[in-house]
Amino acid sequence: MNTKKTKELLVFVLFILPALALVLFASDVPFVMNMYYSVFNWNGISRDMTFVGLDNFVKIFTNDSFFWISVKFTLKYALFFVIIVNIAALTIAMFLASERRSNSIARAFYYVPYIISMTAISLLWKFILGPGFSSLYQITGWEIFNWSWLGSGKLAFIVIVVMTTWQNIGYYIMNYITGIIAVPTELLEASRIDGASRIQTATKIMLPLIMPSISVCMLTSLTFSFKIFDVIMVFTKGGPGNSTASVAYNIYSEAFLNNNYGLATAKSVIFVIFVLCVTAIQTKITKGKEVEA
Amino acid sequence: MKLGKQKISIAWVVVLLASILWLLPLLLIFNNSFKPYNDMMQNFLALPKSLSLDKYIETWVDFGFPRLIVNTLSYTLAAVSGILLFAPMAAYKLARTKTTLSKICFILIIMPMMVPFQSYMISLTRLVSNVRLTGTRLGYIIVSTGLMVPLAVYMIHGFVKNIPIELEESAEIDGAGPVRMYFYIILPLLKPVLTTVMVIDALSNWNDIIVNQLIVGGKTAAMNLQHALYARFSAQTSDWEHALPGIVMSMIPCLIFFIVMQRNIVSGVTAGAVKG
Repeated sequence: MNTKKTKELLVFVLFILPALALVLFASDVPFVMNMYYSVFNWNGISRDMTFVGLDNFVKIFTNDSFFWISVKFTLKYALFFVIIVNIAALTIAMFLASERRSNSIARAFYYVPYIISMTAISLLWKFILGPGFSSLYQITGWEIFNWSWLGSGKLAFIVIVVMTTWQNIGYYIMNYITGIIAVPTELLEASRIDGASRIQTATKIMLPLIMPSISVCMLTSLTFSFKIFDVIMVFTKGGPGNSTASVAYNIYSEAFLNNNYGLATAKSVIFVIFVLCVTAIQTKITKGKEVEA
Repeated sequence: MKLGKQKISIAWVVVLLASILWLLPLLLIFNNSFKPYNDMMQNFLALPKSLSLDKYIETWVDFGFPRLIVNTLSYTLAAVSGILLFAPMAAYKLARTKTTLSKICFILIIMPMMVPFQSYMISLTRLVSNVRLTGTRLGYIIVSTGLMVPLAVYMIHGFVKNIPIELEESAEIDGAGPVRMYFYIILPLLKPVLTTVMVIDALSNWNDIIVNQLIVGGKTAAMNLQHALYARFSAQTSDWEHALPGIVMSMIPCLIFFIVMQRNIVSGVTAGAVKG
């Protein structure tokens, strides 16, 4: 009996270990290290680390204006991105849900930017906003093409919202279509027969029934916008000034550009707690609104 | 919005036409990649005067595309095969073992799905440099594989739970050991979910730039395609004559993969939606 148990354990370890070791190395251990470093004053390179307790956290809350600017940017971005991408994707999805050749081609077109790398996306938009717009300005003379789109904080913000919506919308459209297809057709037909208008059917019947898709998409877009980093890192590097630095980018630059390693890890601890809280609240709210067909 | 038979409305046509607008940035890049710089500046909407591949060939040779493609392809192959080998093994055993140890291991493996990568990436680079893997191909492969394990295990775990256990019980009676049982009975049944995992991970690995930047840093020999292109052209923004063909060439494998695997990609990526 005992040898059988040992053998079972051995098999278990054999099956689990490679995957577990990889995750421990790539995520779990760094995550714990992060919490450990957050109570030290350290530049990330030198040997001397001084234990400072919660000083890093106090500093963030009392004396770190750049961090709060980045919080403001991230929240503002989240607000715009979540609303725009969800409304646009849901509207488009309603039109493209039925099985038609033209619809499936259009879906694929909307989806293509989603599978393209951040490098290509960022260079591509730099090209369009730079040489592209200046050539359009010469042709049309419209002032809008002459604005410095990446040179002012306000315009750069618009560019980031538009660009990320353009890139990600296909993903949300597909999610909504999956939800719409699952709605029983009889319900929609019944409401039409009962005299509901197209818009009434869409808002009063369809919308409550696809609440699960809405909650998934809201949650995904919300966490996506809180975590926004790749775009900032590759596209604007937080500029102009600090106007487009997101929280994640602020953490990154604190660690690697300012060499305040301890402070940066403290910020990321706050960041994790914040993201976890918001997703928990969000899940609770949207789960309560779901109805069954 | 009525399923099946759709009335042709103006709004529907607008949505269809807008989808072409969605491709416009890509088409513009493709269009301009054949032009000399002056022609781009003059009118970037105009079609190129000639379809000469000179700039493509220059970019291919000057920026060492063959090496970059070999690098990126081998990274993607290594990471994806690592995932396909290790993730189903772990997911299967975790789903079938009902012990506390198994529960703890499961939580440890899927924990990173709940925590944003951006929050621990700085300590990750620290850890990688502590074990002297910074700037190495091996370091990059280990990390990028490790980052893809949680979602893969989570998805496969959910799939295994729906496989009837009787199959394994009868195989055991027939005398199959745990290893044979896994490779001959379980693995073939996992094919649908493994395809999904493969598609998600292959795309994200091919397109990765952030992890490569963090782990490889400035070490040119170990850069992947996206990182090298970015490092080269984001600094020299005026060299569009070579940047555009570079972008187009970096996208082609992705687009081909998309066209071939379209069905799997769409269903796969939406299946990954559970990832927080």
